[in-house]
Amino acid sequence: MRLSLRLLSLFAYAAALTAPSSLAAQDRHGRIVGRVIDAATGLGLPDVGVQVVGTTQGTATGVDGRFSIGRVGAGTVTIHLRRIGFTPKTVTGLMLEPGQSLEQSITLEPATFRLTAQVVTAAAERGTVTEALDRQRNSTGVVSAVTAEQIQKSPDGNAAQAVQRVSGVTVQDGKYVFVRGLGERYTTSSLNGARVPSPEPEKRVVPLDLFPAGLLQSITTTKTFTPDQPGDFSGAQVDIKTREFPAERAYSAQVGSGYAAGATGRDVHLAQGVGGERFAMVGNKRALPALLREVGNFQGLNLSQGDKNLIVSQFRNAWSPLAATGSPNLNGSFAVGGDDPLLFGQRIGYLVSGTLSQGVDTKNDQVRALADRGTVKGSTTEIDRFTGATTSQSVLWGGLANLSTMAGRHSRLLFNALYNRSADNSTRTERGSFENEGIEARIQRMQYVQRSVRSVQMGAEHAVGEAHTFDWAVTDARVNRDEPDRSEFVQQIERGPSGSGEVLRWLSTGNGGAVRTFSTLRETNREGRANYQLVFGPAGAQHRIKVGGLVRHTDRDADTRAFSISAPGAPDSVRALRPEQIFDGRFATANSHVFDIAPLAQGGSYGARDRLAAAYLMGEWAAARWLRVIGGARAEWDQLDVNAVSTLGSPLSTAKRWNDLLPSLAATLTLPRDQQLRLSASRTLARPEYRELSPIKSRDVLNGDDVQGNDQLARTSVVNLDARWEWYPHANEVLSVAVFHKTFDQPIERVYRAAGSGTRTVFYANAQRAQNLGLELEARKSLSMVADWLASVQAFTNLTVMQSRIELPVNTQASATNLTRRMVGQAPFVLNSGLTWVSRSGTSSVTVLFNMVGDRIDAAGDAPLPDVIDRARGVLDLSLRLPVSGALTARVDAKNLLDAPYRTTQGTVTRESYRIGRGVQAGLSWRP
Amino acid sequence: MIPFRRSALAAFLAAVSLSACSSDSSTAPTVTPVIGASATAVSSSAVKLSFSSKSGDTGYNIERAEGAAGTFAQVGTVAAPASAGTVTYTDANLKVTTVYRYRIITVRGTTSVASAEISVTTLAFGSAAADLTTDITTSRTLYADTTYTLKGFVHVANGATLTIQPGTTIKGDYTILGSSLMVLRGAKIQAVGTADAPIVFTSSRAAGQRQAGDWGGLIIVGNAPINRSGSVEIEGSGTDGQTVVGGKNYQVLYSGGNTPTDNSGELKYVRVEFAGFAPSLNNELNAFTFAAVGSGTKVSYVNAVAGLDDSFEFFGGGFDLSYGVAFEGEDDQFDMSEGFQGRLQFLISYKSTNVPIRTGAGSYATDMEGIENDGCNGSGCDLGFDTAPFTQPVVANFTLIGPASQSITGAGGGFGMMLRRGTGGYYVNGVLARYPAAGISLRDAATFARAGSAVIPNLATADLAVKNVYIAETPLAFQAPSATQNAFDLAGNSITHGSAITAASLFASIPATGAAPANGETAFDFTPATNSPIATGGLATFTGKLAAKAGTAVVGTAYLGAAAPGGAKWWQGWTNYVRN
Repeated sequence: MRLSLRLLSLFAYAAALTAPSSLAAQDRHGRIVGRVIDAATGLGLPDVGVQVVGTTQGTATGVDGRFSIGRVGAGTVTIHLRRIGFTPKTVTGLMLEPGQSLEQSITLEPATFRLTAQVVTAAAERGTVTEALDRQRNSTGVVSAVTAEQIQKSPDGNAAQAVQRVSGVTVQDGKYVFVRGLGERYTTSSLNGARVPSPEPEKRVVPLDLFPAGLLQSITTTKTFTPDQPGDFSGAQVDIKTREFPAERAYSAQVGSGYAAGATGRDVHLAQGVGGERFAMVGNKRALPALLREVGNFQGLNLSQGDKNLIVSQFRNAWSPLAATGSPNLNGSFAVGGDDPLLFGQRIGYLVSGTLSQGVDTKNDQVRALADRGTVKGSTTEIDRFTGATTSQSVLWGGLANLSTMAGRHSRLLFNALYNRSADNSTRTERGSFENEGIEARIQRMQYVQRSVRSVQMGAEHAVGEAHTFDWAVTDARVNRDEPDRSEFVQQIERGPSGSGEVLRWLSTGNGGAVRTFSTLRETNREGRANYQLVFGPAGAQHRIKVGGLVRHTDRDADTRAFSISAPGAPDSVRALRPEQIFDGRFATANSHVFDIAPLAQGGSYGARDRLAAAYLMGEWAAARWLRVIGGARAEWDQLDVNAVSTLGSPLSTAKRWNDLLPSLAATLTLPRDQQLRLSASRTLARPEYRELSPIKSRDVLNGDDVQGNDQLARTSVVNLDARWEWYPHANEVLSVAVFHKTFDQPIERVYRAAGSGTRTVFYANAQRAQNLGLELEARKSLSMVADWLASVQAFTNLTVMQSRIELPVNTQASATNLTRRMVGQAPFVLNSGLTWVSRSGTSSVTVLFNMVGDRIDAAGDAPLPDVIDRARGVLDLSLRLPVSGALTARVDAKNLLDAPYRTTQGTVTRESYRIGRGVQAGLSWRP
Repeated sequence: MIPFRRSALAAFLAAVSLSACSSDSSTAPTVTPVIGASATAVSSSAVKLSFSSKSGDTGYNIERAEGAAGTFAQVGTVAAPASAGTVTYTDANLKVTTVYRYRIITVRGTTSVASAEISVTTLAFGSAAADLTTDITTSRTLYADTTYTLKGFVHVANGATLTIQPGTTIKGDYTILGSSLMVLRGAKIQAVGTADAPIVFTSSRAAGQRQAGDWGGLIIVGNAPINRSGSVEIEGSGTDGQTVVGGKNYQVLYSGGNTPTDNSGELKYVRVEFAGFAPSLNNELNAFTFAAVGSGTKVSYVNAVAGLDDSFEFFGGGFDLSYGVAFEGEDDQFDMSEGFQGRLQFLISYKSTNVPIRTGAGSYATDMEGIENDGCNGSGCDLGFDTAPFTQPVVANFTLIGPASQSITGAGGGFGMMLRRGTGGYYVNGVLARYPAAGISLRDAATFARAGSAVIPNLATADLAVKNVYIAETPLAFQAPSATQNAFDLAGNSITHGSAITAASLFASIPATGAAPANGETAFDFTPATNSPIATGGLATFTGKLAAKAGTAVVGTAYLGAAAPGGAKWWQGWTNYVRN
């Protein structure tokens, strides 16, 4: 009897554990959590009294404006907020379910802005679009943001796709962000406020496709400089914020599968792998063979035929892609978060999430060619035309863990960790002809690129009284880029008499017939930063003084090795074999005199050490009720050393010491009827990328050009002028017009130098100056003005129109380059438009997005050739979100509906063209 | 007799003056001969005499005789030092490895006595050693007695003249990658050797271990025009940056010249061996590079041996070159482009096999040709292939023999003459043999347009013509015509395709097809064999634009090829067939 009773109680306990919601349902209370934000500054407001109307329940907000009120009676709840100096606000219509935590963020306006108390509905106050606009409205400078909710509504799978919805943003190659038509060097990227190291060997750029959309809270693009931002900011600073924890324990999971018209179910060619490529985990299996590491660049060695045979046989015998059927794309993610008393009753907010996506993509109808000079000046003729297709198997996975907790009432501790890994395993097969050799050829390439980002950040925010806030963070971030064991195999296409009976024979002379390339890059960034802010003055007209500093140590190590295998004098019978036969060992025996091997990427390796210290002082002065003036200056001290060994074996090092003072002055004018006018003037700078400073000449193995850095490069000084008028007619709505002007003193441009035999070298030179002038329009408006039933449809558009002019000096440094033109990478316009319909309940939505970037210069012309132009291309995407049942939501995303080809042209020659095909993706989200 | 008489007069005058001076001397004039004098050869051209003076001697006359039987003549005098001690005398400007006898005549007052004879042999060429490490900024002479080693990129700077004595050897250091000699614009090189004593540029490695690409090469930059606009640098230069640092590979430009008559000096009897290191990928240096070299420059009797890139490459400019020989060059034997206007006569190339390449120096070409001429290619060709001035050389009396195997010439190579990208020029009285692809490739419409787009170019108007050429042991005379490929009429241009004729049958003596000649082979005889079809059939009289262009520098011949029947074997003695 006793036993059965005990069993029964155990069972009941187990039932309670497994069905916590049903148990909680009996509890007729819920919890309200949220954050109170200063509408004028966008910062969390501490010490705001939050009261549940009609009860005695209430609390005061903590350091970052967060609050939590437990055991609130379920039902429709009204809360009231008040704080000295701010207009009190009453939020009605909070629907609190029993046993639930309700999250509600609220903005408070300084009392100077609005004297009468405000009453708003919870629905109106909610919504992260508002949050994004708030961020825009409240920031000191010109910012644009994309938030998690907007990303949710779009088909965007990663940060790069999401950020292109921001006004003035161009995304190149699906990865690299250009803002306001300025090249990558003018855009910096940070993750939770700390610089993300660059995993690209030739440029300073972060491929934003590394960050899965599921991990993002927001992507903020700041376009005007304030002294608390890094000084090498001239176009924009893109800050990626990872998701924060939800108020109550919440789970979510999402799975999806996609169909890519060009790849799924089609015959494709996939690369030969070693295992592990599918999850971006190849380890050492594709690493540079130890023997090759040992022999280095072969200089000073006198290799015997036996040595050569031994070295050649070290490579993996994989040269030809394999035929396969394209599998559908798959993706999934999960997240768990909450704010629970995990540690001895200490509440810890947490979010742990992971994501994985993989798929097969193709570039079909792929054409590439070179332009040669025609017999009329400036005209072009096509040479070296190749046609083919590229297939890539890609994978992206990652996870993050974000923790935060209050330490007492005045301190909040934060810990963010993020790890992402991606890989792209691609093959490209193409056929065409070489003008120089006068032969037809087939080229097969297999390339595997693996990238990873790891970032660990610890920080805290402390508030002492109302006046003082202090925050600090220490970050350690690392990126790796590995391109292990890329292969290229070229065969000459020979035809029998009268074009019959085609035979493929290895192009066994020269140094391009059979090439293996191994490259790695490691970069670490260690950064510490601290800021102190003092707020004083009457509420609503408060002045702020902010001081802070930053120390950042960046170390980079880039290593590239490439080897060419040839078979001088090999007979046709050998050359006609398949590559896997040629390299199966039959010609690597002791008596074989077939192979020769030579190192190619001599000098493609370098190291860099960058030590940056910065300090700033800025003040924000509420000069009048309608005028805030923000001014200050930042000092940066940079010590940069780049070391490399030239092809000829001599070590070359470049040391740069740059000390800069960067002043900035901005004013925000609050005009009647929710309008604002912002004016800003600042000086910023752009430093050369590390590789650009190394005066060695090497083959850029990624693009095949000879590249030489320039140790005489000066850093660029930029004067930025911005003016922006904004009007916020309603919550969620904005209309703004901005003008910007930038003057670049000594901008760094990628140029060409000419050499004998028609060869050329890519070089970096300081141009004399460049100007960039632009106009930015942004509108987000509910269509209720058209018809009432359209109230739930919102239209938005942003358009940036700009022009630039760069002038290069007529000297030997850029001898073969078009000297006066737009800056490389600058598009004359960038347009984003869209329509979103959201059902009243918010569970269903339809979003149509259109994006178009005007013709932009991909590379300057190699005189007298015209510039290489990346042609304008419209992209139309459609997303549907539908409730299925309960916590399940379905999503359907149709991407690239227009399937316009990517096309770069030079004069009349199509340099490159391909289609990626339309895609449809469907998935389910589960959010209990 | 005359020298004797002159020296006797000198001795008489000396004696008079010495006796006048010695009138104060109180010492009794008892003269004794010098004992124990030594003579040491200090170089290939100098001998140092050393002996002890005696108190009371007035001075010493130095007499020299050449060989075992030559007669003595006075070559100098030395005054006796105030107190007895060692006297030295250096006799310079002597012949290499030659026996000289010396004697010293002691003069005391009016009396004199001769010492015993001392015999000495001057040293061989290159016995001394010196390094060339930094740029040559003031005029300098390199002496035959010294073997010089180029360590790094040594430039002869504007305004300086580098004179090199006959017989001088200059080695490119194998260990300092790419070591090269660059004669910059405004500088001159006077490297005039003789058939007996050629000037040799070679690898620093020992014979037998040398490989193509062991060192850089000889680069001469002039101030004549090229047809590319903008700044153009020497291929492979600039790997150490743009800043001028002596001995480093800084950027060297050759564009923008405007003096067609510019003079970069003279090369005669000069050999360049085992050159061609690639300072950057695919940018191998040539054995001889002539960039924008003007017509004031004289080049004759030049021999490129086992270079990794082209044997002779000409970028723009124009000057006369006669008697050029290319042995086993790994890319093109003669490569002209960018508006080259030179006149070349008597050219030989012999290519039979791949010479081993220095590990890591570069790679074998994919398109090895005998002659590869381009009109204009690359940036700065403002009108593409039609950019003027056209590449328009006169190339006459050439004997170009290929390796007969496409596996050696590379997939894109194997043509006796590749004429493309709008090149012009007049190619006459030549022999092409053993080319596996075709004798001649006449590529692209722009090139054909130079010939008036006529299959028989009219010399009165055409900028391009191929006349009187014999093609042997080669599958096709012209590459098969296609959309971009053209061919001249054979008979109308006196082009003979001896499809069944072997190369060996044309010449007095050349190695068999596929056989690599022995190292040091001297038996090449490019003279037409008896009854060889190339002994006749030459274009003896030039007309039209060819005559105008050739002037007196290049004249017509009754024979084809580089050697006249029964004529001088001009390549013998000073060239060097060697593969390692």
